[in-house]
Amino acid sequence: MPGRRSAAIPAVSEPVSHVLRATGVGKKIDEAVLLLPTDVELGRAGCVVLRGPNGSGKTTLLRILAGTLSPSEGEATLDGSPVDERLGSTRTAIAALIGAPATYRDLTLVDHLVLIDSTWGHAGDRADARSDEILELLEIDHLAGRFPHELSSGQQQLFHLSMVLLRPSSILMLDEPEQRLDPDKRDLLTRILLDRKADGSGLLIACHDPAMTEALADTVVDVQSA
Amino acid sequence: MTGADKERLRQVRAAILGDRPDTSLSTTLYPVYVAVIAAGAYGVPAAQQLFRTLDGHWLAAHAWTPGGAVVAACVVALLLVVVRLVGRVHGPVVPPLPYLELVVSSPMPRKVTLARNWRLSLGGSIIGGLLAGLVAGAGLAIANVANPVVLMPATLGGTLLGVVVAELWLQGQVHSSPLGLPKGSSLPRGRRNALSMLDITGLKRQSASNATIGGAVLAGDLRTVRLDAARPSTHARHVRLRASGPRMVIARRDLLGLRRAPWGALYGLGFAAAGSAGLMLSLQSPRTPTMAPLFSLIVAYLGFGALCEGLRLHADNSGTSRLLGIAYRDTALAHCVVPVSLWALSALVADAVLSLAGLVRPIAFVWALGIGILLAGSHLMASFRGLPPAGVFGPNAGVPALIFWYARPLLATLVVGTAMTAWAARTPAPWVAFSWMLILTGGVVLWGLALVDKRDRRS
Repeated sequence: MPGRRSAAIPAVSEPVSHVLRATGVGKKIDEAVLLLPTDVELGRAGCVVLRGPNGSGKTTLLRILAGTLSPSEGEATLDGSPVDERLGSTRTAIAALIGAPATYRDLTLVDHLVLIDSTWGHAGDRADARSDEILELLEIDHLAGRFPHELSSGQQQLFHLSMVLLRPSSILMLDEPEQRLDPDKRDLLTRILLDRKADGSGLLIACHDPAMTEALADTVVDVQSA
Repeated sequence: MTGADKERLRQVRAAILGDRPDTSLSTTLYPVYVAVIAAGAYGVPAAQQLFRTLDGHWLAAHAWTPGGAVVAACVVALLLVVVRLVGRVHGPVVPPLPYLELVVSSPMPRKVTLARNWRLSLGGSIIGGLLAGLVAGAGLAIANVANPVVLMPATLGGTLLGVVVAELWLQGQVHSSPLGLPKGSSLPRGRRNALSMLDITGLKRQSASNATIGGAVLAGDLRTVRLDAARPSTHARHVRLRASGPRMVIARRDLLGLRRAPWGALYGLGFAAAGSAGLMLSLQSPRTPTMAPLFSLIVAYLGFGALCEGLRLHADNSGTSRLLGIAYRDTALAHCVVPVSLWALSALVADAVLSLAGLVRPIAFVWALGIGILLAGSHLMASFRGLPPAGVFGPNAGVPALIFWYARPLLATLVVGTAMTAWAARTPAPWVAFSWMLILTGGVVLWGLALVDKRDRRS
């Protein structure tokens, strides 16, 4: 349902045009080839979907483009500079959900969101309101007072998505965000991501769902198995 | 146990063993043999050396006074409380999962199917108590802290303590059952049926945890041990984290975490107060034995550690997608604010009480503050040390190398804290000792921060 998202929720941190580019990026560990050389380019308000069989290297490519893994060959850049997660500029631009994110077992869902929003400089009532709204947006507001260990696997996935959607960013990087979600929730997620794209966010998504790919992708990159 | 039960158990054991010989007796006796050899060869010499090092004359003068008896009673009581708590996580009756699935789940009485595991734990506890009493008694006698006659009551006391420990250990396990105690039953009144009160879900949980923790210990992964042993938080779920500035919200997070783990927080505050009080008292006289600051620092390290859960959780999360808006190192430092503040508060209360009683000078609080920074540095080291390097598992390293690798944060605290406190108590210029302590503390903090940066680079 486009348009449901509240104005309080930041789709994009800044209307800045970032260009994320992988040029001949590949990864080897000893003799094991994790990723064959691949090219990807993501501009503002675009969506690139990575497709490929299990083990083809989609997650490895996302890690390289998120700046948490260095490539064995080729180059990954953000606005012409190497991507490195330790740089504040990279962290500010890219919000990534690659594997389960960090959670505190002694905080409830809403506490996590307030914590994340506060560390990005959104103190005061705004953080509370925005946390409630993102939970409502993903239809998990009834779980606000639960601890992470009290969630089902699908609810965990929605909670993880809520955290990454809440933090400001101009590029959203998601590794199989549809996993463990039922068809209704996949539709909901697709609508939310279309909203983000319309607001100027770049999307880079590894996805196995043909319907989501069809709805979101401007470009599809088929990652080849080694 | 009826004859029919015995026969069924015999058949079960025969089915489990198959064609293999029954080595259960030798498997049981071998650890006892090793423990006896180790107690004689290493335990007694180490104990007597410890008593000599800790100032044998002071011990001889104080150990057999009413004050000494109170301290001993407190230590035993603390041990028993800890044992009961351990029973809730890992009890004395934890058979392997296949045995639980195939035998304990059957209609056979549980007090029959679990009797062997209980007897092994009871026997181990009694022998452990006996050997501990023997080693302590021999150490006291050889170090001339006590008359050799002490050997008899020490051994007997250790044996009795072993029995009590086993009973409380079992009580802890029975009370941890997700089903609770059966209606109308209570411990210790229902002690005879304690094995029957153990439910299959709780037994399986402890057995699975046993396998996880065992593997983690062998791999040197203390994080897995801690996360597996700790109960998930469910307290104060309706209290919300208040939004605030980027660093302040981290401190508020830690306070909320402590509020949701009230027993851990109380334990941390209590140990912090006791440890800081011990340190401030140690400064007052040059005749204070070195063991006073040493033990105070161990208590302080444990108490401070209980207040550092937020720091450890941050370290646990390295390698995952970053969601917080402040840098990794800054987050780690922000997680130190609550433990250091609560340490300072505990020390301030202890200082006020001791000052009013005329036992310390109020300025001793400054020393406790310095120790708080030292503890923060060592807990940065402990939280971010990661997994041990492969070298400590090598054939030329062994268990001592692994223990040393893990104990480095505690050792850094004990070496710097004990040496500087003992020096400050003996020198006419304690500010010189304080300055040196700050310099060495700076080294420990920098070591901790280097480990934080190392984890940051790896993630």
